[in-house]
Amino acid sequence: MTDLVVGSARDQSPLTDNPYDRWIAPEGDEKALFYRTQTGFLVRFPDEVDFEIEGVGDRVTAWPVPEAKPDLAENLFNNAISPILGNHRGGLFLHGSAVEIGGNAIAFLGMSRSGKTTLAASFAKAGHPCLTEDVIELVERDGTYWLQPKPKVLRLFRDSADFLLGEQPHWEDEDEKQRVDVADALPFSDEARPLTRLFILANNEPDEVLLPHLGAQSALTELMPHSFILDVEDKARLSAHFSRLAQLAQRIPSHSLDYRREYAELPRVISAIVHSQTGTAPTHETE
Amino acid sequence: MKLNDTFTASEDVVSREVGGEMVLLDLASGTYFGLDPVGGRIWELLSNGPHSLSQVCDTIEAEFEAPRDQIEADILALFSDMGDQNLIVATPD
Repeated sequence: MTDLVVGSARDQSPLTDNPYDRWIAPEGDEKALFYRTQTGFLVRFPDEVDFEIEGVGDRVTAWPVPEAKPDLAENLFNNAISPILGNHRGGLFLHGSAVEIGGNAIAFLGMSRSGKTTLAASFAKAGHPCLTEDVIELVERDGTYWLQPKPKVLRLFRDSADFLLGEQPHWEDEDEKQRVDVADALPFSDEARPLTRLFILANNEPDEVLLPHLGAQSALTELMPHSFILDVEDKARLSAHFSRLAQLAQRIPSHSLDYRREYAELPRVISAIVHSQTGTAPTHETE
Repeated sequence: MKLNDTFTASEDVVSREVGGEMVLLDLASGTYFGLDPVGGRIWELLSNGPHSLSQVCDTIEAEFEAPRDQIEADILALFSDMGDQNLIVATPD
């Protein structure tokens, strides 16, 4: 566990070195830049926050830009820095959401803006509690992967919030996600649940809901891009993480999941997944 | 590339067998590769040390049912691909 220290607001000064890694958003923007420092790492979220990481994460200091919203540093720490440090220390963190069905956890892995938060929230709206909306933390114990519950908040676009929670009276930026406290509106699970299935979101948007099984080989190659990696040049840690994912791919059945990204389609998606989980026939797939 | 050329697995590549098939991750490029059971067996040989193409063909011929000329053609093509992707490195004779 790493404590976050938030420093005073400051502008992001130009850095002389080239970053050794970058996170690129689907639309091509640089979301995060990774640099080495004399004592560890600096992760820069452009025009948002610099995170100075000492050692292997013994101490993290955030330096938000003056224009940053008050909770931005903490949000980025929880959704990005904490998971990359967790994997760096030998943990198992993946980018995705998860819900509880019948006491078990199922997880949805996907890139940014692939629909995983809306999907998880839709399950919650249908009575299947949400476990996490963005970061999947797995703790392996006696051959079972326990998926850890996260805070009861969702980061949603305006239209998703309107669909899930009713029309929102105020929204700060119509083109950006906003953090919404949904503790009173949607059920969340408070306890770790055993992971029984992984769904990896595809975006071909077929006419029908498709959830074909993935072999372990395919699943492994799909899992790695959804990992949080601090140091892509640390071959020993990368190799160890690859081994942990290989074990996960062997033990947990994986599926590809593809559907039209329309709100009207979500009940069919939920029905298909619930019935695949419980072994019964779906009722809405061919409507 | 000739049948007496010798190769070994690159130190930058890690591999894991999952579901009876081999997955390779090139740590230098972050690229993944999947190998079928025959390819996986060949990778296992190269991971254990330098082997000539001819030695690899001998092992595959002994363990899998296929004509020798077909094995040699397939292995030459596979080694060429793996060389292009920097998954294997040539070693001195």
